[in-house]
Amino acid sequence: MTRDLWKHLLLILGALVVIAPFYTMVSYSFKSPGEIDRGEGGFFGSQQMMIDSHCVTLRDPNRADIAQAADRFPGQDANSIRLALRAEAEADCAMRPIVFNYTQAFTQAPLLRYLMNGVIVTASIFLIQIIVALPAAYALAKLKFWGRDFVFSLVLFCLLIPVHAIALPLYIMLAKTGLTNSYAALVIPWTISVFGIFLMRQFFMTVPDDLVDAARMDGLSEFAIVWRVMLPTAVPALMAFAIFSIVAHWNDYFWPRVVVTGNRDLFTPPLGLREFKGGGDGSMFGPMMASATIIVTPLIVAFLIAQRRFIDGITLSGMK
Amino acid sequence: MANLHIDQIAKSFGQTQVLRGVSLHIEDGEFISLVGPSGCGKSTLLRIIAGLESQDSGDIQINNTSMAGTRAADRNLSMVFQSYALYPHLSVGENIAVPLRMRQLNTLQRLPLIGPLMPGARAARTAIQQAVTQAATTLEIDALLNRKPGQLSGGQRQRVALGRALVRDPAAFLLDEPLSNLDAKLRVQTRTEIAELHRRLGATFVYVTHDQVEAMTMSSRIAVMMSGEILQCGAPDVVYDDPDDIRVAEFIGSPKINILPATLQAQGQIHLLDTPLQLFTRKPHDSVQIGLRPEMIELAPAEAPAHDTRYAQLTGTLAHLENLGSELYAQIEVPGLPRRLILRAAPRQRSALHMGAPVALRFDTTQALIFDGVGKRVRHLLHAPDASWRQAS
Amino acid sequence: MTRSRMNTTARQQRNTAWALTAPALILMCVILLIPVVIATYLSFTNYALGNPGYDMVGTQNYEKLLTRSSYARMFTATFTYVVVVVPLSVGLGLGAALLINSLTHLRDVYKTIYFLPVMATLIAMAIAWEFMLHPTIGVINRTLETGCGTLIESLWPWLAYHCQNGMPLWLGDKRYAIWVICFVGIWQGFGFNMVLYLAGLTSVHRELYHAAEIDGVRSGWERFRLVTWPALGPTTVFVITISCIRAFQVFDTIEAFYPIGAGPGKSAYVMMFAIYEKGVKQNLVGMGAAITVLFLLFVMMITLAQRWFVERRVHY
Repeated sequence: MTRDLWKHLLLILGALVVIAPFYTMVSYSFKSPGEIDRGEGGFFGSQQMMIDSHCVTLRDPNRADIAQAADRFPGQDANSIRLALRAEAEADCAMRPIVFNYTQAFTQAPLLRYLMNGVIVTASIFLIQIIVALPAAYALAKLKFWGRDFVFSLVLFCLLIPVHAIALPLYIMLAKTGLTNSYAALVIPWTISVFGIFLMRQFFMTVPDDLVDAARMDGLSEFAIVWRVMLPTAVPALMAFAIFSIVAHWNDYFWPRVVVTGNRDLFTPPLGLREFKGGGDGSMFGPMMASATIIVTPLIVAFLIAQRRFIDGITLSGMK
Repeated sequence: MANLHIDQIAKSFGQTQVLRGVSLHIEDGEFISLVGPSGCGKSTLLRIIAGLESQDSGDIQINNTSMAGTRAADRNLSMVFQSYALYPHLSVGENIAVPLRMRQLNTLQRLPLIGPLMPGARAARTAIQQAVTQAATTLEIDALLNRKPGQLSGGQRQRVALGRALVRDPAAFLLDEPLSNLDAKLRVQTRTEIAELHRRLGATFVYVTHDQVEAMTMSSRIAVMMSGEILQCGAPDVVYDDPDDIRVAEFIGSPKINILPATLQAQGQIHLLDTPLQLFTRKPHDSVQIGLRPEMIELAPAEAPAHDTRYAQLTGTLAHLENLGSELYAQIEVPGLPRRLILRAAPRQRSALHMGAPVALRFDTTQALIFDGVGKRVRHLLHAPDASWRQAS
Repeated sequence: MTRSRMNTTARQQRNTAWALTAPALILMCVILLIPVVIATYLSFTNYALGNPGYDMVGTQNYEKLLTRSSYARMFTATFTYVVVVVPLSVGLGLGAALLINSLTHLRDVYKTIYFLPVMATLIAMAIAWEFMLHPTIGVINRTLETGCGTLIESLWPWLAYHCQNGMPLWLGDKRYAIWVICFVGIWQGFGFNMVLYLAGLTSVHRELYHAAEIDGVRSGWERFRLVTWPALGPTTVFVITISCIRAFQVFDTIEAFYPIGAGPGKSAYVMMFAIYEKGVKQNLVGMGAAITVLFLLFVMMITLAQRWFVERRVHY
C-alpha cells in the first residue's frame, strides 16, 4: 500500500481535475447569484432566503391593486398600503437559492419538453437502427448469396464516413425536401448505423450455424429467425450497441444545431442548454447550471448504476 | 547444474492453505515429477521454486544457497509454461534469444537501432546468435527461426518454449504442464523427446503434471502431492508397487486400483466378505482396506488346487468388458462389494468371459496392499497369527 | 436432392438475403454515399440554398481554401488541436490505465471517475469549464490569485507577471484560447482511451510477465517494452485512430465558448466549425462542401492507415 502511495497521489490529482467541472456545475446550481459572484458558500451555498426580483417586479402593485386592498389595511394611506403589498410580494417571492435555480430551469425554458424531445429522438434512432441493422447483419453473417461480399465491402467503406462530416449535404437534402425543423430531420441521418451492422455481423459470426439450422428444421422463416432466434442471442451485443448509440445521440449537439433553427419545440437538451446560455445574464448562472445538471444527470446516474455494462459496452464497440 | 532443496515450504491464499510445509531434496541431474490432481499445490510449489510466488514460510536452496530475497530473474532457472508464454511480436529466433539478451547485453546495447553500435555489442550479439542457432538445431526448429509464434502449430510452439529454456545453461529446468495443450498423439511423442533431452543434458528437471502416465514414463522420481502435501516421493516403480497411502495408490495406475473393504477379526486376521484370509496384522486397527491392482486379480484356473492358502477366492458376474486389443479389462460385480472389481486379462482369456456369466477370481494375498481405516499403508503383515498379538489383546 | 431443387433453395435464400439487406442498403446509399457525391459535386459550384440557380466555378472553392488566410488559420487550428489532443489523450489514457491496473485498491473508483467526462453532455461540461475559466469569478483565477504575494509567486515568473498585470483572460486571449480548448478535449477524451487500454491490458497473458521475469527482465521499463507495449499494439492503433477522428470533429466546445467567431482572432476556427459557419450559417454551400470533401479525405486517410497497420501486424 505504501509502495502504491505515489500512484494514488497521482491518480487523486487527476481525479480532482476530472471532477472539477462537475463540482462547479452542481455547486453553482445550488447557489444564489451573489454567492456565485463572490465565490463563497462552499459546495451547497448558505441556502439563505433570496428574493426573486423578477417575481417582485411582476407583482408591483398598481392603483387598482391598492384600491382593492384598502379594506385589508383600514385607515392607512395609499403609500403605506403600497409598501405593505410590496412586502407581501417580497415575502411570497422569497425562496431558497436551490429551489429558485431549479424552478427557473424548468420555467425559463420548456426544459421538460427538451428532455422529452431528447428521449423521443434517442429512442427512435436506436429502434430504427436495430430494425435496419439486425436483418442485414444476419444476412451478411449467416446467409450465402451472390453479392454478399460486395455488400460487406460497401459496409466497410461506409464505416469510413462519419455522419457529422457529411452534415452539409444532408442538410441541403433535407432542406430541399422541406424536412428541416422536424423530428424526421433529427432522426433520419442516424437511421443507418453501419457500425451497428458491422458489430452485429461480427457477433452473429460467433453464433453457431447449428442454431440457425435447428430453427430452420423447426420451420421458422428467415424473418422469424432474425427476430425470434438471433435477437435473443444478441442481447449482450445489443446492450453494448444501445449504450453506444444512446450516449452518442443524447449528447449530440452538432447535428441538432444544424437542422433545428428557431423552433424551440424541437430542441434537444443540449440545444436548450445552449439557448439558455445565449439569453442569460449573470443572474442566470444558477438556473443554467441547474439545467445542465438535469441534462447530464440521467446518463451519469445510469452509468453509475450499471458501470460495468457501460464500460464493457463502450469498449466492445471500440474493439472492432 | 545444481541440486535443489525445498525446505518446509508453506503457503496460503487467504483462508486456503495451499502448501503445508513441503520438503523435498532434488539431486543434481534428477528428473523429478510433481504429480497430483488439480488444486493440490504442485504448480504453486513450482512457482515458489521459480521465485514467481513468495512462500509464507520455509526456504528454497539452489546449490546449497538460500534463495530468500532473490528474485526470479536472478535465480538462474529456466521455465517452460503451460501456455508456452512466447512473445507474440517476436520471431522464434528473437524469442529464444530473449533470456540471453537480457543477461548478456546491458540496457544501452539492447536499444533498437543504436544498440548494435554500442561497444562490445557486436561480439555479444554474434555469440547470442550462435547459441540460438545451436538450441534451434537441437530441437529441430532451425527452419522456423524467422516465423512468428502465431504462425506455428501447438507442437512447434512447445519446442520454441523449450528452446528458450535451454538456450542458456540454467541451474534447473522447471516445466509447468508443458504437454497439456498438445493433442494425445503429439503428447506421447514429446514425452519421449523431453525424457531424451534430459538424458542428453544431464540437467536437473522439475516437471509438474496432473497426468500420472507422464510422471511414470519420464521421471527418475515422482513426488505425489495432494492437498498441499507430498504424500510420497520415490522412483516410479516404488510409488506404483509400494504406495505409502491409499490416495497415492488410487492416483497412480490406470485403470484405478480396486479398493475392497475388509474387517479385522481376532488375532488381527483380515476377513474379506466374512471369509478369513491367511493375512494377519501385527497391531490392532479399526478397519482395513485391501488394495488390488487390476493385474493382481486373475481368473481362477479350473485346475487350481482347492486349498492354496496364498490365494483368496472370489466369485462374481461379468458386468462389462473393455477390449483394448492388447489386453482386456473386465468389470466384475461381486456380491457384497460396493464397487465393481476391475481386472486385467489377456486377450486369449476372452473365451472364458461371458457377459452375465459367473466368474471365479483369485488374488495372491502376499501381494495385496493393505491400508488402515484412514488410508495409511499397513506393512509387516504376517501369514500366521503373531505370538505377541495374544499378549497385547 | 435434385439439381433443380437445390437451385430453388439457393434462389430462395438469395431473395430473402436481399430482402433482409435491402433497407440497410438503400439507407446506406441515400444517407452516406449520395451525400458524399453531392458534397463533391457542390464543392465545384457556388450553390446557395434559396437561389434560383448556380454556376459551376471549377476549383475556385479549393483555391480559396488553399490561399486565403482565414482557411490557413482553419488548418492551423484543426491540426494544432489534433496534434496536441491525440498524443496527450492517448498518453494520459495509457498512463492512467497502467497506474490503475497496477493497483490493488480503489481501481473501480478511479475508473468510474475518469470515465465520467465521456458520458457527460459535452456542451454542458464546456459551459462548466467556461465558468471555471471566468476571468474574475472563475475558480482557476481565484486559485491563482491566492498564490500572489507568496513564495510561489517569486518562483514562478508567469504567475508574478499575472499578479502584476491581472489574471489571464483564458478564453478571450489569443495566446491561450486554442490550448484551453485542447485541454477540454483531452479532459473529455482520455477516460475513453483509458478504458480501451484497460480492456487491452486484461488480454495480456499473465504468464508472459512470468516468462519475462524468468528470462531475466528486472526493470519495469523492460517489462513494459517486452510484454505490455507489444501486446497493446492493436489497442494503440485503434485508440489513435478513434482519437484522431474525434479530434477532427471537435465542435461542441468551440461553439459553447465562442458562439460567434470561433475564438479571438479565429484561433479556434476548426474545420467542423468552418463547415457549419460557411455552409449552414452563411449559406456558402460550395465553400462548405469543399471543406467537407477535404475533411472526408483526412478522415478516410486515417482510417485506411489504421487498417493497413492492423493487417500488417497480425500476431496470434
